[in-house]
Amino acid sequence: MKCEEVELKMVDYLDNNLDSDSRQEIEKHLETCERCLDGLNESQQILNHFHKNEIVKPDDSLRINFYHMLHSEMKKSEEKVKIIEYKTQKPWYINSNYRVAAGIALLLCGTFIGLILHRGFGNSYTSDELKNLQSEVSALKKTAMFTMLKEESSSDRIQAVRYVEDIDNPDQNMIEVLIKTLNSDKNVNVRIAAAYALSKFSDRQAVCDSLVKSLSLQSDPILQVTLINILVERKEKSALRPIQEIISNKGTLKEVRAVAENSLRVLI
Amino acid sequence: MSETSDEILMENVKSGNLEEMSVLFERYHLRVYNFFFRLTYDLDVSNDLTQNLFYRMIKYKNSYKSEYSVKSWIFQIARNLHADYCKEEKRSGELFLKSEKNFVEPSDESEGYHEEDFERLEKAMSNLSIDQKEIIVLSRYQGMKYEEISEITNQSVGAIKVAMYRAIKQLRGIYFKQI
Repeated sequence: MKCEEVELKMVDYLDNNLDSDSRQEIEKHLETCERCLDGLNESQQILNHFHKNEIVKPDDSLRINFYHMLHSEMKKSEEKVKIIEYKTQKPWYINSNYRVAAGIALLLCGTFIGLILHRGFGNSYTSDELKNLQSEVSALKKTAMFTMLKEESSSDRIQAVRYVEDIDNPDQNMIEVLIKTLNSDKNVNVRIAAAYALSKFSDRQAVCDSLVKSLSLQSDPILQVTLINILVERKEKSALRPIQEIISNKGTLKEVRAVAENSLRVLI
Repeated sequence: MSETSDEILMENVKSGNLEEMSVLFERYHLRVYNFFFRLTYDLDVSNDLTQNLFYRMIKYKNSYKSEYSVKSWIFQIARNLHADYCKEEKRSGELFLKSEKNFVEPSDESEGYHEEDFERLEKAMSNLSIDQKEIIVLSRYQGMKYEEISEITNQSVGAIKVAMYRAIKQLRGIYFKQI
Protein backbone atom coordinates (compact mmCIF):
# COMPACT_ATOMS: atom_id res chain seq x y z
CA MET A 1 0.00 0.00 0.00
CA LYS A 2 1.26 3.46 -0.93
CA CYS A 3 1.42 6.48 1.38
CA GLU A 4 -1.36 8.24 -0.53
CA GLU A 5 -3.72 5.34 -0.11
CA VAL A 6 -2.93 5.14 3.61
CA GLU A 7 -3.62 8.86 3.98
CA LEU A 8 -6.96 8.46 2.22
CA LYS A 9 -8.04 5.64 4.53
CA MET A 10 -6.60 7.14 7.69
CA VAL A 11 -9.84 8.58 9.09
CA ASP A 12 -11.71 5.35 8.42
CA TYR A 13 -8.86 3.48 10.08
CA LEU A 14 -9.07 5.66 13.17
CA ASP A 15 -12.88 5.38 13.20
CA ASN A 16 -12.52 1.61 13.00
CA ASN A 17 -14.49 1.55 9.78
CA LEU A 18 -12.26 -0.75 7.73
CA ASP A 19 -12.37 -4.46 7.04
CA SER A 20 -9.57 -6.52 8.57
CA ASP A 21 -7.67 -6.87 5.25
CA SER A 22 -7.39 -3.09 4.79
CA ARG A 23 -6.47 -2.65 8.45
CA GLN A 24 -3.67 -5.16 8.21
CA GLU A 25 -2.34 -3.56 5.03
CA ILE A 26 -2.26 -0.13 6.68
CA GLU A 27 -0.61 -1.49 9.82
CA LYS A 28 1.98 -3.22 7.69
CA HIS A 29 2.70 0.08 5.91
CA LEU A 30 2.92 2.01 9.22
CA GLU A 31 5.61 -0.36 10.52
CA THR A 32 7.97 0.87 7.86
CA CYS A 33 6.76 4.46 7.16
CA GLU A 34 7.44 6.96 9.94
CA ARG A 35 5.88 9.85 8.06
CA CYS A 36 2.52 8.10 7.81
CA LEU A 37 2.74 7.07 11.47
CA ASP A 38 3.25 10.73 12.46
CA GLY A 39 0.35 11.69 10.25
CA LEU A 40 -1.80 9.05 11.93
CA ASN A 41 -0.95 10.34 15.40
CA GLU A 42 -1.65 13.91 14.44
CA SER A 43 -4.95 12.98 12.85
CA GLN A 44 -5.87 11.07 15.98
CA GLN A 45 -5.26 14.17 18.09
CA ILE A 46 -7.37 16.32 15.81
CA LEU A 47 -10.24 13.85 15.86
CA ASN A 48 -9.98 13.64 19.64
CA HIS A 49 -10.42 17.38 19.85
CA PHE A 50 -13.65 17.17 17.91
CA HIS A 51 -14.91 14.57 20.35
CA LYS A 52 -14.26 16.88 23.27
CA ASN A 53 -16.45 19.63 21.91
CA GLU A 54 -19.48 20.28 23.97
CA ILE A 55 -22.97 20.93 22.84
CA VAL A 56 -23.77 24.62 22.93
CA LYS A 57 -27.21 25.46 24.25
CA PRO A 58 -29.16 28.39 22.81
CA ASP A 59 -30.92 30.78 25.16
CA ASP A 60 -34.71 30.81 25.54
CA SER A 61 -35.21 33.44 22.86
CA LEU A 62 -34.81 30.79 20.14
CA ARG A 63 -37.74 28.74 21.39
CA ILE A 64 -39.87 31.78 22.18
CA ASN A 65 -39.29 33.27 18.75
CA PHE A 66 -39.98 29.95 17.07
CA TYR A 67 -43.37 29.55 18.73
CA HIS A 68 -44.19 33.15 18.01
CA MET A 69 -43.37 32.62 14.34
CA LEU A 70 -45.29 29.33 14.23
CA HIS A 71 -48.42 30.89 15.65
CA SER A 72 -48.39 33.77 13.22
CA GLU A 73 -47.87 31.32 10.33
CA MET A 74 -50.77 29.20 11.59
CA LYS A 75 -52.95 32.30 11.73
CA LYS A 76 -51.94 33.27 8.20
CA SER A 77 -52.73 29.82 6.85
CA GLU A 78 -56.11 29.82 8.60
CA GLU A 79 -56.90 33.12 6.92
CA LYS A 80 -55.84 31.63 3.59
CA VAL A 81 -58.18 28.70 4.13
CA LYS A 82 -60.98 31.13 4.88
CA ILE A 83 -60.29 33.08 1.71
CA ILE A 84 -60.28 29.88 -0.31
CA GLU A 85 -63.57 28.80 1.25
CA TYR A 86 -65.04 32.22 0.61
CA LYS A 87 -63.94 32.10 -3.01
CA THR A 88 -65.34 28.65 -3.57
CA GLN A 89 -68.64 29.78 -2.14
CA LYS A 90 -68.90 32.55 -4.65
CA PRO A 91 -69.06 30.75 -8.01
CA TRP A 92 -72.54 30.79 -9.48
CA TYR A 93 -72.92 27.03 -9.50
CA ILE A 94 -72.40 26.81 -5.75
CA ASN A 95 -74.51 29.77 -4.77
CA SER A 96 -77.84 28.29 -3.70
CA ASN A 97 -79.77 30.68 -5.92
CA TYR A 98 -78.19 29.34 -9.02
CA ARG A 99 -78.01 25.84 -7.69
CA VAL A 100 -81.78 25.75 -7.69
CA ALA A 101 -81.97 27.54 -11.05
CA ALA A 102 -79.45 25.12 -12.53
CA GLY A 103 -81.49 22.24 -11.19
CA ILE A 104 -84.55 23.62 -12.93
CA ALA A 105 -82.65 24.14 -16.17
CA LEU A 106 -81.31 20.60 -16.07
CA LEU A 107 -84.73 19.14 -15.45
CA LEU A 108 -86.20 21.23 -18.25
CA CYS A 109 -83.50 20.05 -20.63
CA GLY A 110 -84.26 16.51 -19.56
CA THR A 111 -87.95 17.01 -20.24
CA PHE A 112 -87.32 18.47 -23.68
CA ILE A 113 -84.85 15.78 -24.60
CA GLY A 114 -87.35 13.23 -23.39
CA LEU A 115 -90.05 14.75 -25.56
CA ILE A 116 -87.78 14.96 -28.59
CA LEU A 117 -86.69 11.37 -28.23
CA HIS A 118 -90.24 10.28 -27.73
CA ARG A 119 -91.74 12.22 -30.60
CA GLY A 120 -88.83 12.71 -32.95
CA PHE A 121 -87.97 16.05 -34.52
CA GLY A 122 -90.46 18.00 -36.58
CA ASN A 123 -93.55 16.74 -34.84
CA SER A 124 -95.50 19.36 -33.02
CA TYR A 125 -96.26 18.85 -29.38
CA THR A 126 -99.80 18.17 -28.38
CA SER A 127 -101.41 20.73 -26.12
CA ASP A 128 -101.47 18.10 -23.38
CA GLU A 129 -97.71 17.73 -23.50
CA LEU A 130 -97.21 21.47 -23.40
CA LYS A 131 -99.55 21.71 -20.47
CA ASN A 132 -97.61 18.99 -18.68
CA LEU A 133 -94.42 20.87 -19.34
CA GLN A 134 -95.84 24.09 -18.00
CA SER A 135 -97.09 22.49 -14.86
CA GLU A 136 -93.73 20.85 -14.40
CA VAL A 137 -92.02 24.23 -14.61
CA SER A 138 -94.47 25.64 -12.10
CA ALA A 139 -93.80 22.77 -9.74
CA LEU A 140 -90.07 23.31 -10.02
CA LYS A 141 -90.34 27.01 -9.36
CA LYS A 142 -92.51 26.25 -6.41
CA THR A 143 -89.90 23.89 -5.02
CA ALA A 144 -87.25 26.51 -5.68
CA MET A 145 -89.24 29.10 -3.79
CA PHE A 146 -89.84 26.92 -0.77
CA THR A 147 -86.19 25.93 -0.62
CA MET A 148 -84.84 29.41 -1.03
CA LEU A 149 -87.16 31.04 1.47
CA LYS A 150 -85.32 29.05 4.11
CA GLU A 151 -82.01 30.62 3.12
CA GLU A 152 -80.17 32.79 5.60
CA SER A 153 -79.40 35.51 3.09
CA SER A 154 -82.19 38.01 2.48
CA SER A 155 -81.25 38.39 -1.20
CA ASP A 156 -81.89 34.65 -1.63
CA ARG A 157 -85.30 35.05 -0.03
CA ILE A 158 -86.11 38.03 -2.26
CA GLN A 159 -85.17 35.92 -5.27
CA ALA A 160 -87.47 33.18 -3.96
CA VAL A 161 -90.37 35.61 -3.67
CA ARG A 162 -89.78 36.76 -7.26
CA TYR A 163 -90.13 33.21 -8.58
CA VAL A 164 -93.81 33.43 -7.67
CA GLU A 165 -94.24 36.46 -9.94
CA ASP A 166 -93.27 34.27 -12.90
CA ILE A 167 -95.97 31.77 -12.15
CA ASP A 168 -99.30 32.46 -13.80
CA ASN A 169 -101.45 30.68 -11.37
CA PRO A 170 -99.85 30.05 -8.00
CA ASP A 171 -101.69 27.65 -5.75
CA GLN A 172 -103.10 28.44 -2.34
CA ASN A 173 -100.09 26.94 -0.66
CA MET A 174 -97.70 29.38 -2.36
CA ILE A 175 -99.91 32.36 -1.58
CA GLU A 176 -99.99 31.36 2.06
CA VAL A 177 -96.22 31.14 2.14
CA LEU A 178 -96.00 34.60 0.61
CA ILE A 179 -98.44 36.05 3.14
CA LYS A 180 -96.48 34.48 5.94
CA THR A 181 -93.32 36.03 4.50
CA LEU A 182 -95.03 39.42 4.22
CA ASN A 183 -96.08 39.33 7.86
CA SER A 184 -93.16 37.68 9.56
CA ASP A 185 -89.91 37.82 7.57
CA LYS A 186 -87.27 39.57 9.67
CA ASN A 187 -86.01 41.59 6.71
CA VAL A 188 -88.13 44.51 5.53
CA ASN A 189 -86.91 44.23 1.94
CA VAL A 190 -88.07 40.63 1.75
CA ARG A 191 -91.44 41.69 3.16
CA ILE A 192 -91.72 44.46 0.54
CA ALA A 193 -90.86 41.97 -2.22
CA ALA A 194 -93.57 39.66 -0.87
CA ALA A 195 -96.07 42.55 -0.88
CA TYR A 196 -95.33 43.31 -4.53
CA ALA A 197 -95.51 39.62 -5.45
CA LEU A 198 -98.89 39.33 -3.75
CA SER A 199 -100.15 42.52 -5.45
CA LYS A 200 -100.03 40.67 -8.77
CA PHE A 201 -102.72 38.35 -7.47
CA SER A 202 -104.73 40.96 -5.60
CA ASP A 203 -107.70 40.34 -7.87
CA ARG A 204 -108.23 37.27 -5.75
CA GLN A 205 -110.31 38.35 -2.83
CA ALA A 206 -108.39 36.20 -0.37
CA VAL A 207 -105.10 37.83 -1.36
CA CYS A 208 -106.61 41.27 -1.12
CA ASP A 209 -108.05 40.51 2.31
CA SER A 210 -104.71 39.36 3.59
CA LEU A 211 -103.06 42.54 2.30
CA VAL A 212 -105.62 44.59 4.18
CA LYS A 213 -105.06 42.54 7.30
CA SER A 214 -101.33 42.89 6.93
CA LEU A 215 -101.57 46.68 6.75
CA SER A 216 -102.74 46.79 10.34
CA LEU A 217 -99.85 44.55 11.37
CA GLN A 218 -97.01 46.44 9.71
CA SER A 219 -95.18 49.14 11.55
CA ASP A 220 -92.43 49.78 9.02
CA PRO A 221 -93.20 53.07 7.21
CA ILE A 222 -92.01 51.90 3.78
CA LEU A 223 -94.10 48.79 4.00
CA GLN A 224 -97.12 50.77 5.16
CA VAL A 225 -96.81 53.08 2.16
CA THR A 226 -96.30 50.11 -0.20
CA LEU A 227 -99.41 48.35 1.05
CA ILE A 228 -101.52 51.52 0.99
CA ASN A 229 -100.49 52.16 -2.62
CA ILE A 230 -101.29 48.60 -3.66
CA LEU A 231 -104.71 48.70 -2.02
CA VAL A 232 -105.55 52.17 -3.31
CA GLU A 233 -104.77 51.09 -6.84
CA ARG A 234 -107.16 48.21 -6.32
CA LYS A 235 -109.67 50.71 -4.90
CA GLU A 236 -110.07 48.30 -2.04
CA LYS A 237 -112.70 49.82 0.22
CA SER A 238 -112.02 47.40 3.03
CA ALA A 239 -108.63 49.07 3.44
CA LEU A 240 -110.36 52.16 4.81
CA ARG A 241 -110.39 50.96 8.35
CA PRO A 242 -106.69 50.08 8.73
CA ILE A 243 -105.78 53.28 6.87
CA GLN A 244 -107.81 55.35 9.28
CA GLU A 245 -106.14 53.52 12.13
CA ILE A 246 -102.76 54.50 10.73
CA ILE A 247 -103.85 58.12 10.49
CA SER A 248 -105.09 58.21 14.06
CA ASN A 249 -102.05 56.39 15.43
CA LYS A 250 -99.80 58.93 17.12
CA GLY A 251 -96.72 56.91 16.31
CA THR A 252 -97.25 57.09 12.57
CA LEU A 253 -94.62 58.99 10.61
CA LYS A 254 -95.99 62.21 9.12
CA GLU A 255 -94.94 61.16 5.63
CA VAL A 256 -96.92 57.95 5.98
CA ARG A 257 -99.88 59.85 7.40
CA ALA A 258 -99.82 62.17 4.37
CA VAL A 259 -99.93 59.19 2.00
CA ALA A 260 -102.73 57.62 4.04
CA GLU A 261 -104.77 60.86 4.05
CA ASN A 262 -104.29 61.18 0.31
CA SER A 263 -105.52 57.64 -0.20
CA LEU A 264 -108.72 58.41 1.65
CA ARG A 265 -109.79 60.75 -1.17
CA VAL A 266 -109.58 57.90 -3.66
CA LEU A 267 -111.22 55.31 -1.44
CA ILE A 268 -114.11 57.30 -0.02
CA MET B 1 -45.17 3.44 22.22
CA SER B 2 -43.25 4.48 19.14
CA GLU B 3 -42.87 8.14 18.27
CA THR B 4 -44.29 9.57 15.10
CA SER B 5 -41.55 9.60 12.48
CA ASP B 6 -40.10 12.86 11.20
CA GLU B 7 -41.40 12.02 7.75
CA ILE B 8 -45.01 11.55 8.86
CA LEU B 9 -44.80 14.78 10.86
CA MET B 10 -43.50 16.65 7.84
CA GLU B 11 -46.23 15.22 5.59
CA ASN B 12 -48.77 16.42 8.15
CA VAL B 13 -47.19 19.87 8.15
CA LYS B 14 -47.41 19.84 4.35
CA SER B 15 -51.10 19.07 4.45
CA GLY B 16 -51.71 22.04 6.73
CA ASN B 17 -51.13 20.87 10.31
CA LEU B 18 -48.49 23.48 10.97
CA GLU B 19 -48.57 22.89 14.71
CA GLU B 20 -46.76 19.57 14.20
CA MET B 21 -43.77 21.66 13.23
CA SER B 22 -43.21 22.20 16.95
CA VAL B 23 -42.31 18.51 17.38
CA LEU B 24 -39.67 18.80 14.66
CA PHE B 25 -38.41 21.97 16.29
CA GLU B 26 -37.95 20.18 19.61
CA ARG B 27 -36.19 17.31 17.91
CA TYR B 28 -33.79 19.30 15.78
CA HIS B 29 -33.20 22.82 17.02
CA LEU B 30 -30.26 21.91 19.24
CA ARG B 31 -28.49 19.97 16.48
CA VAL B 32 -29.09 22.68 13.92
CA TYR B 33 -28.04 25.41 16.33
CA ASN B 34 -24.78 23.58 17.01
CA PHE B 35 -24.24 22.96 13.30
CA PHE B 36 -24.39 26.70 12.71
CA PHE B 37 -22.30 27.47 15.75
CA ARG B 38 -19.48 25.18 14.67
CA LEU B 39 -19.44 26.93 11.30
CA THR B 40 -19.83 30.53 12.41
CA TYR B 41 -18.55 30.56 16.04
CA ASP B 42 -21.20 33.17 16.65
CA LEU B 43 -24.08 32.56 19.08
CA ASP B 44 -26.31 35.34 17.75
CA VAL B 45 -25.81 34.35 14.13
CA SER B 46 -26.50 30.71 15.02
CA ASN B 47 -29.68 31.77 16.74
CA ASP B 48 -30.84 33.76 13.68
CA LEU B 49 -29.93 31.04 11.21
CA THR B 50 -31.71 28.38 13.27
CA GLN B 51 -34.77 30.60 13.46
CA ASN B 52 -34.61 31.11 9.71
CA LEU B 53 -34.30 27.41 9.07
CA PHE B 54 -37.58 26.58 10.78
CA TYR B 55 -39.25 29.47 9.02
CA ARG B 56 -38.03 28.14 5.67
CA MET B 57 -39.30 24.67 6.54
CA ILE B 58 -42.78 26.11 6.93
CA LYS B 59 -42.59 28.47 4.00
CA TYR B 60 -41.22 25.86 1.61
CA LYS B 61 -43.00 22.89 3.17
CA ASN B 62 -44.31 21.83 -0.22
CA SER B 63 -40.80 21.40 -1.57
CA TYR B 64 -40.19 18.56 0.90
CA LYS B 65 -40.05 15.31 -1.04
CA SER B 66 -40.68 12.12 0.86
CA GLU B 67 -37.77 10.44 -0.96
CA TYR B 68 -35.43 12.32 1.40
CA SER B 69 -35.29 11.89 5.11
CA VAL B 70 -36.45 14.97 6.98
CA LYS B 71 -33.04 15.10 8.63
CA SER B 72 -31.30 15.35 5.24
CA TRP B 73 -33.76 17.99 4.10
CA ILE B 74 -33.18 20.03 7.26
CA PHE B 75 -29.43 19.96 6.76
CA GLN B 76 -29.80 20.77 3.06
CA ILE B 77 -31.65 23.92 4.08
CA ALA B 78 -29.07 24.57 6.81
CA ARG B 79 -26.26 24.41 4.24
CA ASN B 80 -28.09 26.81 1.95
CA LEU B 81 -28.63 29.23 4.82
CA HIS B 82 -24.98 29.02 5.75
CA ALA B 83 -23.92 29.61 2.14
CA ASP B 84 -26.22 32.66 1.95
CA TYR B 85 -24.79 33.93 5.19
CA CYS B 86 -21.21 33.60 3.93
CA LYS B 87 -21.99 35.20 0.61
CA GLU B 88 -24.00 38.05 2.01
CA GLU B 89 -21.62 39.07 4.72
CA LYS B 90 -18.39 37.94 3.06
CA ARG B 91 -17.44 36.96 6.54
CA SER B 92 -15.13 34.06 5.85
CA GLY B 93 -12.17 36.31 6.56
CA GLU B 94 -13.72 37.87 9.62
CA LEU B 95 -14.82 34.69 11.29
CA PHE B 96 -11.90 34.53 13.63
CA LEU B 97 -12.38 38.09 14.87
CA LYS B 98 -15.99 37.27 15.62
CA SER B 99 -15.10 34.10 17.43
CA GLU B 100 -13.18 36.06 20.09
CA LYS B 101 -16.33 37.87 21.18
CA ASN B 102 -18.81 35.08 21.53
CA PHE B 103 -16.52 32.30 22.47
CA VAL B 104 -17.96 29.50 24.53
CA GLU B 105 -16.02 28.69 27.67
CA PRO B 106 -14.49 25.26 27.26
CA SER B 107 -14.48 23.13 30.37
CA ASP B 108 -13.01 19.84 31.56
CA GLU B 109 -9.56 21.18 32.38
CA SER B 110 -9.10 18.26 34.72
CA GLU B 111 -8.85 15.93 31.75
CA GLY B 112 -6.00 17.95 30.40
CA TYR B 113 -8.22 19.81 28.03
CA HIS B 114 -6.95 23.33 27.62
CA GLU B 115 -8.56 26.41 26.24
CA GLU B 116 -5.45 27.00 24.15
CA ASP B 117 -5.87 23.70 22.32
CA PHE B 118 -9.49 24.47 21.69
CA GLU B 119 -8.79 27.89 20.23
CA ARG B 120 -6.00 26.54 18.11
CA LEU B 121 -8.32 24.03 16.54
CA GLU B 122 -10.95 26.67 15.89
CA LYS B 123 -8.35 28.88 14.26
CA ALA B 124 -7.24 26.01 12.10
CA MET B 125 -10.86 25.28 11.15
CA SER B 126 -11.41 28.85 9.98
CA ASN B 127 -8.79 28.26 7.28
CA LEU B 128 -10.80 25.49 5.63
CA SER B 129 -13.16 25.99 2.72
CA ILE B 130 -16.89 26.16 3.44
CA ASP B 131 -17.40 22.69 1.97
CA GLN B 132 -14.63 21.18 4.04
CA LYS B 133 -15.91 22.79 7.22
CA GLU B 134 -19.41 21.54 6.57
CA ILE B 135 -18.25 18.00 5.99
CA ILE B 136 -16.21 18.05 9.19
CA VAL B 137 -19.06 19.51 11.21
CA LEU B 138 -21.59 17.02 9.82
CA SER B 139 -19.30 14.07 10.27
CA ARG B 140 -17.50 14.94 13.50
CA TYR B 141 -19.84 17.15 15.47
CA GLN B 142 -23.13 15.76 14.18
CA GLY B 143 -21.85 12.19 14.03
CA MET B 144 -23.31 11.51 10.58
CA LYS B 145 -22.30 8.67 8.33
CA TYR B 146 -20.80 9.39 4.93
CA GLU B 147 -23.97 8.07 3.30
CA GLU B 148 -26.06 10.66 5.14
CA ILE B 149 -23.63 13.44 4.27
CA SER B 150 -23.73 12.27 0.68
CA GLU B 151 -27.52 12.71 0.63
CA ILE B 152 -27.26 16.17 2.15
CA THR B 153 -24.43 17.51 0.02
CA ASN B 154 -25.35 15.64 -3.15
CA GLN B 155 -21.82 14.33 -3.51
CA SER B 156 -20.66 10.74 -3.79
CA VAL B 157 -19.41 8.93 -0.69
CA GLY B 158 -15.99 8.68 -2.37
CA ALA B 159 -15.82 12.42 -2.96
CA ILE B 160 -16.72 13.08 0.67
CA LYS B 161 -13.98 10.72 1.85
CA VAL B 162 -11.43 12.57 -0.26
CA ALA B 163 -12.67 15.95 1.01
CA MET B 164 -12.45 14.63 4.57
CA TYR B 165 -8.93 13.41 4.06
CA ARG B 166 -7.85 16.75 2.59
CA ALA B 167 -9.51 18.68 5.40
CA ILE B 168 -7.84 16.63 8.13
CA LYS B 169 -4.50 16.89 6.38
CA GLN B 170 -4.86 20.66 6.14
CA LEU B 171 -5.91 20.93 9.78
CA ARG B 172 -2.89 18.91 10.80
CA GLY B 173 -0.66 21.25 8.85
CA ILE B 174 -2.07 24.38 10.47
CA TYR B 175 -2.56 22.97 13.93
CA PHE B 176 0.84 21.40 14.45
CA LYS B 177 2.72 24.27 12.84
CA GLN B 178 1.25 26.57 15.48
CA ILE B 179 3.08 24.88 18.31
